[in-house]
Amino acid sequence: MMIKTDAGMGAHETVFIVDDDASICEGLCNLLEAVGISSRSFFTAEGFRAHWSKAMAGCLLLDARLPGISGVELQERLRQSGIQIPIIFMTAHGDIPMVRKVMKSGAIEFLTKPFQKEELLNAVEQAFAVDRLRREEEEILKAIRARVDSLTAREREVMAMVTAGLLNKQIAGELNLSEITVKLHRRHMMEKMQAGSLAELVKLCERVKEPSRSGTTA
Amino acid sequence: MTGTEATGLSGWTFEYGLKPCAIAGCFVLVALLWSFPLQHVIAYPFVFLFFGAVMGSAWFGGVIAGFLAVTLSSLLITYFFVPPLFSMSLTKDSQSFLTAFIVCAIAITVVSSARKRAENAIRDARDQLEAKVQERTVELQRSNLEIKESERQLRLLTEAIPQQIWRADAGGRIEYCNHHLCDYIGMHSETLSEEAFFNVLHPEDKPMFRREWQAALASGEAFEMEARVRGANGAYRWFLARSIPQRAEDGRIARWYGIHIDVEQQHKAQQSLVRAQDDLTRLSRTLSLAEMAASIAHELNQPLTAVVTHAYACREWLCSTPANLEKASATAEKIVQESTRASSVVRRVRALFSEEPHVRKLTDMNRLIQALARLLRDEAIRREVSIKLVLANDLPRLEMDSVQIQQVLLNLATNAMDAMMLVRGPRELTIRSEKRSDAEIMVAVEDHGPGIASEIAPRIFEPFFSTKEHGTGMGLSICRSIVESHQGRLWAENSNRGGTKFQFTVRAQA
Repeated sequence: MMIKTDAGMGAHETVFIVDDDASICEGLCNLLEAVGISSRSFFTAEGFRAHWSKAMAGCLLLDARLPGISGVELQERLRQSGIQIPIIFMTAHGDIPMVRKVMKSGAIEFLTKPFQKEELLNAVEQAFAVDRLRREEEEILKAIRARVDSLTAREREVMAMVTAGLLNKQIAGELNLSEITVKLHRRHMMEKMQAGSLAELVKLCERVKEPSRSGTTA
Repeated sequence: MTGTEATGLSGWTFEYGLKPCAIAGCFVLVALLWSFPLQHVIAYPFVFLFFGAVMGSAWFGGVIAGFLAVTLSSLLITYFFVPPLFSMSLTKDSQSFLTAFIVCAIAITVVSSARKRAENAIRDARDQLEAKVQERTVELQRSNLEIKESERQLRLLTEAIPQQIWRADAGGRIEYCNHHLCDYIGMHSETLSEEAFFNVLHPEDKPMFRREWQAALASGEAFEMEARVRGANGAYRWFLARSIPQRAEDGRIARWYGIHIDVEQQHKAQQSLVRAQDDLTRLSRTLSLAEMAASIAHELNQPLTAVVTHAYACREWLCSTPANLEKASATAEKIVQESTRASSVVRRVRALFSEEPHVRKLTDMNRLIQALARLLRDEAIRREVSIKLVLANDLPRLEMDSVQIQQVLLNLATNAMDAMMLVRGPRELTIRSEKRSDAEIMVAVEDHGPGIASEIAPRIFEPFFSTKEHGTGMGLSICRSIVESHQGRLWAENSNRGGTKFQFTVRAQA
């Protein structure tokens, strides 16, 4: 793939800790600082929600039991509002149904307090990797969408038909254009989409779910 | 009636008729008979003899006999001795002589009878006095006997009462003690003294007993105290010593009376009751242990987690190049803090389940409530109950058994959470503390549950009454006995927000 983004490099990765016990937050921040990972702590789920913005990168280290909105509930709410930050759960004693539920909902790890440094750092590493992937994915999609957006209406029509497998001649017939004009549109479109081949263009369109059109006769 | 009147009448006749006549007659006759022979020896012997007869009659027969004798003597003298002899006629000389005789005789009669009367009166008075003295003596003897008898009976009574009785003077020196007291402590009543009695008291009770007794002696107020007294067999028994002062008329204390009542049995019964209550309390604590295990694990895990993470961080700071000693040292400090916190959790939990005898200390009720809320925090989160504390900040510190009071709080709080199990919507458990006076605190534990059905309301404090499937039915009855042992009250009412409000008070020891 030729697409390159700067995701994961530029954005500052942070571990967002949510635990109502101040000394746990302090301990975790201290450890993470010592290993060179930046962190921020919140005592309540609401506090984190208020602070969160889409541009933030990293992962959430969340106590399963919190006064008010619990950790499990927060996971549910984040999912519903489309926030996909990876979550590492921690608890003093988790029961199996709870572990199953949060893991099914996509949690990275479930740590039982007190946990080993390696467990935590591995989980954080994994979560960061997942987040990086997620952000890269987002960046890529964003870039593709930007390319699609830069197309003219005609170019977009041509692209839909090309990805549907129509030949230039067919497209020209469909659009009442000369084959040469279609070729011109097609070349511009391929340049703007930065696609080296038809196969690449199809892949790009699939990723952004750009519809393809096989034409009226086809 | 006629009989007594007749006797009275004949007595009167005898006293004032026959007796004076007979006496006067006899004396005058004797004088007359002696006058004839004496005529030849001395001149005019009849004058002395008849004066003597008049005097004698007046003396022995009274004034009536005296005047009779005067009359008789005058007639006989006129007839026999005054010329003309043997005739009742009188010459002029004789008239004056006779007049002089009569006047003298009357005078003698009056004087003599008066003296006689006076003497009689004196004698009567003396007789009466003597009779009275005799009467009094008899009375005195009788009352003496009575006193002796009642004293004997009293002594018998004090010896018969199966309690130890003693009497002491105003200064506390023992004057008397019954044989129960002597027998029990194995001393003779002669050798028993205040000090000797203090010496058979239990060493723990002795100083206080002595102090209280000295205070009672000084103030003159009744004395009452329980203490262990060593018997002759060397074993201690609990006694209730009571003493009251007896005051003289001027208000000063004359003596002290005391009684020692054996209360060993009551003490034993009370102790076994306390033990039984403790056992039950412990039982119910153990039963709620399962409910609390999760909370305790959480409580302990929090500081442990902090310790572990700080320890890792510390190692990281030390291993980095160059080692960040400042950070490492600060982190080590944190480790110490968190370890201390963990050990205080352990201590708290141990205190809650300790089997040590309970001690009452001045305690801050709010701290107990806060500690409990901390212990219940996790359980509350699990049950989706929020705990709200409304604590008065002017609570007096009262003497209480913190473990027992926490037991009450725990029981009421878990009951409240149980009650809200089926409630939809927000579940809030409110614990409120309130100052009622400088010596009284009220605590309320309020839930949002369905409240107590009126038909079971009167029974909820009964032992073994439970609405829970696995309840022992002892919780509230133990709570109530704990609260009552703190001079307080525990009651339930339906809260005005729906749900139940359990309230209890704790009062300072009187």
